[in-house]
Amino acid sequence: MPNLLRPLLANTLAILVSLACPPSTLAGELFASTYQPPETDARLFVDVHIYSGTGVEEQSTQVLIVDGKIQQMGTNIIAPAAQVIDGGGRWLTPGIIDVHSHMGDYPAPAIAATRDGNEATAPNTARVWAEHSVWPQDPQFELALAGGITTLQVLPGSANLFGGRGVTLKNVASRTVQGMKYPGAKQGLKMACGENPKRVYGSKGQAPSTRMGNVAGYREAWAKATDYQRKVKAHEQDATKPLPDRDLTMETLVGVLEGEIIVHNHCYRADEMANMIDVAREFGYQIGTFHHAVESYKFADQLAQENICSAMWADWWGSKLELFDGVQQNVALVHNAGACAIVHSDSAYGIQRLNQEAAKALAAGQRMGLDITKAEAIRWITMNAAKSLQIDQQTGSIEIGKAADLVVWNQDPLSVYALADLVFIDGHLYFDRSDPNLRPVSDFALGLSVEGQHD
Amino acid sequence: MTNYLSLFSPPVFVQALRLCSVILVIIIVPLNAHAESILITNTTVHSQSKAGVMRDVNLLVEDGRIARISRDTIDNPPKDVRIVDGAGKVLTPSLIGAYSQLGLDEIDLEATTVDSILNPLIPAVSFAFDVQYAFNAKSVVVDVNLVEGVTHTIIAPRPGSDIMAGLGAFANLAKGQIDTPNIAMFGDVSANAAKKIGGSRAAAIGKLRFALESLESFSARRHHPGTGEYSKRDLIALQTHVDNDLPLVITAHRAVEISQLIMLAKDFDLNLVIRGATEAWQVSEALAAADIPVIIDPLSNIPISFEHLGARLDNAALLERSGVRFAIEVADTHNMRLMRQHAGNAVANGLSWSTGLHAITRAAVELFALDDSLGRVVVGEPANFVLWTGDPLEVTTWAHLVVVAGNVVDPNTRQTQLYNRYKRLDRAPFQYGYER
Repeated sequence: MPNLLRPLLANTLAILVSLACPPSTLAGELFASTYQPPETDARLFVDVHIYSGTGVEEQSTQVLIVDGKIQQMGTNIIAPAAQVIDGGGRWLTPGIIDVHSHMGDYPAPAIAATRDGNEATAPNTARVWAEHSVWPQDPQFELALAGGITTLQVLPGSANLFGGRGVTLKNVASRTVQGMKYPGAKQGLKMACGENPKRVYGSKGQAPSTRMGNVAGYREAWAKATDYQRKVKAHEQDATKPLPDRDLTMETLVGVLEGEIIVHNHCYRADEMANMIDVAREFGYQIGTFHHAVESYKFADQLAQENICSAMWADWWGSKLELFDGVQQNVALVHNAGACAIVHSDSAYGIQRLNQEAAKALAAGQRMGLDITKAEAIRWITMNAAKSLQIDQQTGSIEIGKAADLVVWNQDPLSVYALADLVFIDGHLYFDRSDPNLRPVSDFALGLSVEGQHD
Repeated sequence: MTNYLSLFSPPVFVQALRLCSVILVIIIVPLNAHAESILITNTTVHSQSKAGVMRDVNLLVEDGRIARISRDTIDNPPKDVRIVDGAGKVLTPSLIGAYSQLGLDEIDLEATTVDSILNPLIPAVSFAFDVQYAFNAKSVVVDVNLVEGVTHTIIAPRPGSDIMAGLGAFANLAKGQIDTPNIAMFGDVSANAAKKIGGSRAAAIGKLRFALESLESFSARRHHPGTGEYSKRDLIALQTHVDNDLPLVITAHRAVEISQLIMLAKDFDLNLVIRGATEAWQVSEALAAADIPVIIDPLSNIPISFEHLGARLDNAALLERSGVRFAIEVADTHNMRLMRQHAGNAVANGLSWSTGLHAITRAAVELFALDDSLGRVVVGEPANFVLWTGDPLEVTTWAHLVVVAGNVVDPNTRQTQLYNRYKRLDRAPFQYGYER
């Protein structure tokens, strides 16, 4: 074919496709996941001490994984073909899930060339996708893996009212972000309350410069999105009605309105959460999770009623006024109120030890007399996190039929001394503390003097 | 009294009088006249002294001091003694911070609450910037850390327009005062600081060298004292500090800068401490040979900049193996209480448990030549300790009792008031606004 014709044909094809299919918000279709779970041997874990991720603790039990899935649990499993992993009383948990990371978008080294996490150029950048900034060679991924992290959500930063779309990744080594994308997982929409947007834009003499400006900014955007959605629907029902010009920002917001994209809302203060719930009510969408929710303990009854998760730190506080009321009891109080409690990191350091963060949050609850078990605390970094990302049918717990995303710990993971010995993703052994050859090393880390630092 | 005297007294007389009154206080008043008696029974004491670890002992505090530590029952304890069951608990010296901005910075992003740093765009004092005058013991951040066992800390300025930050102090959090001003001088030759003076680490090391060289010909009495790049005020501060052989704490991460600083310490006979020290493990033999201690964050294992390419979790363990003395810091002053978790992680990655405890208790005392009774539990000495619910380096334990100079620290803070106010959301009407 002559070269000149090629683009013409491509364009024609594109137009034909776009006529046939109205603008899609489905993440699965664009920049599609190419992740393929490797073929794995059947393995039988024996004499492992389990925290199930669903609040159950069981001693000296057995788990059989076949074809990357949990097939059987019990005490006398017979599986002659399976490779036996003798836990020797060690702990087995689901793979740890962090709902709030910027790894890949703010990779190491954190230098001007790699600062790709905050498109802080307009208060609404719902059009940007965090996955397009992810650098798969970020050496932080493998450090998180050593801490038992098997799944994580990478979100855009919080400079904007609408920061853009987040992406859920499997913590696997890959040349491309597509190779890490969790197949079928919905994207997130990062929204931000409070000080960050008003500071970033207010300091430029731009809107928003106040909290009321923030709320006006959300409502205006949702109003436009509702209108855009109406026009697209009108066209679907009557082809003579014109499609609106394609608008990537609106596509993201409509994706939320249609339940295809989950709202992850950075919001510290209880009163601002209430305002965000009213905004969501006005425009008919559901808030999935409030992130950094340091004041959820003041609002946990409402959050339980609204079915909104809170992703929280164990003890961060004080860096901004909106974090001034942070208490160590936050996670435990939210849990105790029957709301969905999650421990998140927002930090490439914290993500390496989310188990310790959960342990601290548990201890704070126990200290004030709340009756919370260790097994329940593990939910905060496994099953509840999976619910927040809507991948709880696939991962987040040790239950039959679930993905074999598993961590063997050298001791109770709710201890500062616990280290992940083995980390499995879809039944594949991705990390073995005892074998330097069985752990990923990013391109960037090659040749660094710390290679094999986990010894 | 001071006002009355100052009306007609020469300053020298006032000073002499103050000195006398200090001496009188020491002679006639017990360590703390109002300190209660405390008996902790059947506990484990990590003394950080020659006595080592003492198990199943009873410990009596009287008049602010450790009166007895004994395996035998302590008969006839004082009337009104507070008896605390120490079984299963662990008693250690209280935590002492080797670096922080405690009482200086309240909310990082609110400039009017931050006193540890001068505006980088406004050249001002550097060596002479002295943070003691801004120490605010009423800061919420102080209480939150004190109740978790951090009883004392070094407070430090951060570099503003220069690589040198200025003078730090030693703060007693329970008494809410500066115990020792001008305890150490702080500076930074990492890339972050070097960018303040043009962007080259060579310029940072060079500038520090030149300042020290200029001390040789500097005389504050001369009208034109030849201060080089610094003001007279700055060089007076540096000269006083170096003459008194006080610690100079310089932040550096790469092995390159650490090696340069080792040479600098040798050339100028400095009492040097290196902070940050991410790649210290690479030059640990040289640090040990020069007996230069470091202050590290043991969680720093990410190659977060090209200065941190050698960052690793077993930095502490490798330093211990080479005999380098070190203290452990927490980068976030709001959470100095996490010193325990930091030390615990170092232990999980190869450090011995006792050195881990040392690095958050006794180490700062040794690095900064603090009151020798701090950071240890010794009979006859002031009682500064914490009784933990278990292993203090573990994340599931907490401070059961914090004692400073024989006084039990009130465990309530603004944070405990907050969660107590909101712990019952099911009450109606919801009158939390009136409860404290």
